[in-house]
Amino acid sequence: MGETVTGGKISLEHVTYKYSVGTPFEKTALDDVSLSFEGGIITGLMGHTGSGKSTIAQLLNGLLKPTSGTVRIDGKDIWEDPKKIREIRFRVGMVFQYPEYQLFEETVAKDIAYGPRNMGLEESEIEARVLDAARFTGLEAECLEKSPFQLSGGQKRRVAIAGIMAMRPEILVLDEPAAGLDPQGRREILGGIREYQRENGATVIIISHSMEDLAVYADKLMVINQGHLFRYGTSHEIFCHAEELKQVGLSRPQITKFMMELKREGLDAGEGIYTVGDAFEAVLRLFGGERSHAE
Amino acid sequence: MLSDITLGQFFPGNSPLHKLDPRMKIFLIILFIVTIFCASSLLSFCLVLGSAAFLTILSRIPLRQILKGLRPLFLIMLFTAILNIFWTSGENLLWQWGFVKIYAEGLWYALFMIVRVVTLIIGSSVLLTYTTSPIALTDGLERVLSPLRVLHLPVHEFSMMMTIALRFIPTLIQETDKIINAQKARGADFTSGSLFQRMHALVPVMVPLFVSAFHRADELAVAMECRCYHGGEGRTRMTQLHLSGRDYLFLFFMLALFALVLLCNSVSFW
Repeated sequence: MGETVTGGKISLEHVTYKYSVGTPFEKTALDDVSLSFEGGIITGLMGHTGSGKSTIAQLLNGLLKPTSGTVRIDGKDIWEDPKKIREIRFRVGMVFQYPEYQLFEETVAKDIAYGPRNMGLEESEIEARVLDAARFTGLEAECLEKSPFQLSGGQKRRVAIAGIMAMRPEILVLDEPAAGLDPQGRREILGGIREYQRENGATVIIISHSMEDLAVYADKLMVINQGHLFRYGTSHEIFCHAEELKQVGLSRPQITKFMMELKREGLDAGEGIYTVGDAFEAVLRLFGGERSHAE
Repeated sequence: MLSDITLGQFFPGNSPLHKLDPRMKIFLIILFIVTIFCASSLLSFCLVLGSAAFLTILSRIPLRQILKGLRPLFLIMLFTAILNIFWTSGENLLWQWGFVKIYAEGLWYALFMIVRVVTLIIGSSVLLTYTTSPIALTDGLERVLSPLRVLHLPVHEFSMMMTIALRFIPTLIQETDKIINAQKARGADFTSGSLFQRMHALVPVMVPLFVSAFHRADELAVAMECRCYHGGEGRTRMTQLHLSGRDYLFLFFMLALFALVLLCNSVSFW
């Protein structure tokens, strides 16, 4: 099943990627993939383990070079001049899975400033960006002068994400940014990403296994299966095909399943509910309606 | 990039060499090295070279893999060959220019030196590193060295340390790759600038690498203690090593090679 999206801010065109070419461990991760991410929105990239999501992410900012095919930003091949790939990396920010390990500086502020400093910005600009990034990720001012190794896991995560946001990339790719965090931490980090996207008009791609998170925070969803584009659309368009999702090893958000159960039990609060917020309102409407009916 | 390093890496397979007892392999490799250094005539070198080729074929390791392992030593070989060519004196002068004299013996020595290094590398990698899993290797070493326990040497602890070190090399390589990628994504530049700048550029890689290595070591120690690890005393093994007919066959082959080489040393061709 191959739907193609054309145009878009950043796209892969007939990209094939093989790991360890020329060794007995050679493995094709992506085979002739074409997909495109719309500009100015948050796209959620889903797919079960080994579907090629992380490879796609690293192709987008030039950490991996396609074995064949092209990666384009605004229609321009990023590998046109391999010497300028570093500039591409400044334009496409990449937050890896469990990015805490990348912290190394003496203080949080210095660590966040590492990316902007590599860009060769002026000190005053760097400082402004560090404060900006700290605001998006909810890091308090007193935190900035601490050593990153003193912080808790959740705070380290914020520092790592802030380190990328401080480069103010027009395209921000995050691989499981909220994995392993508590619910409040998830909300704050994902909310901060949304804020960053709105304020900078950035294009954001979030890779996640959490249907719940993506249903709330992503504008569009893209489902990858075995290295190919399987489905692309709004959360409604994706989640209404429950059977299809099951085929590729994914499922609908828990709240959707819960509402289906409710419906089966005779409490029909309506279809197409994918977030807890929607469910809350639907149930309220349902009971409100019943109450008025009873009166 | 970093994962391309192959010297001393286990190459999974099912060849007769893979199935040899690691203790026997350690013994065989020592015997092979002695044989290589005993060889001194053209015929015996041909024998050594032939048996190295034979072992390579037996191991079913692709030739390309073996050549890749030889590449880093190319410079050393070239250097020793040149030294041998120019500094060996003998009776058969081939060419002279001022004080530079090249003797036939020099050429021969250079050639022998190269054959020695090449067979040494091929022999040890094919016999041991490519065909023995690190676990089997340290297991074999522990057994071979176990008589030293009489001298109160902590043989078991040494081999456990080696097992752990070997086990974590690929992990650390992966980790390094991961950190390098993460810092590259933040615009780190490892390939340009002066030597000092490049060394400085490695700080963002080294710091997280050390932090995570210590972290890992800590976790591993706790995990081992949780499972009541307390050293080698009274410890039994999951896999017992047994010498089979195959092991003795290879031993016979290696001893025969040794004897043949000694015999052929007296046959001179030049």
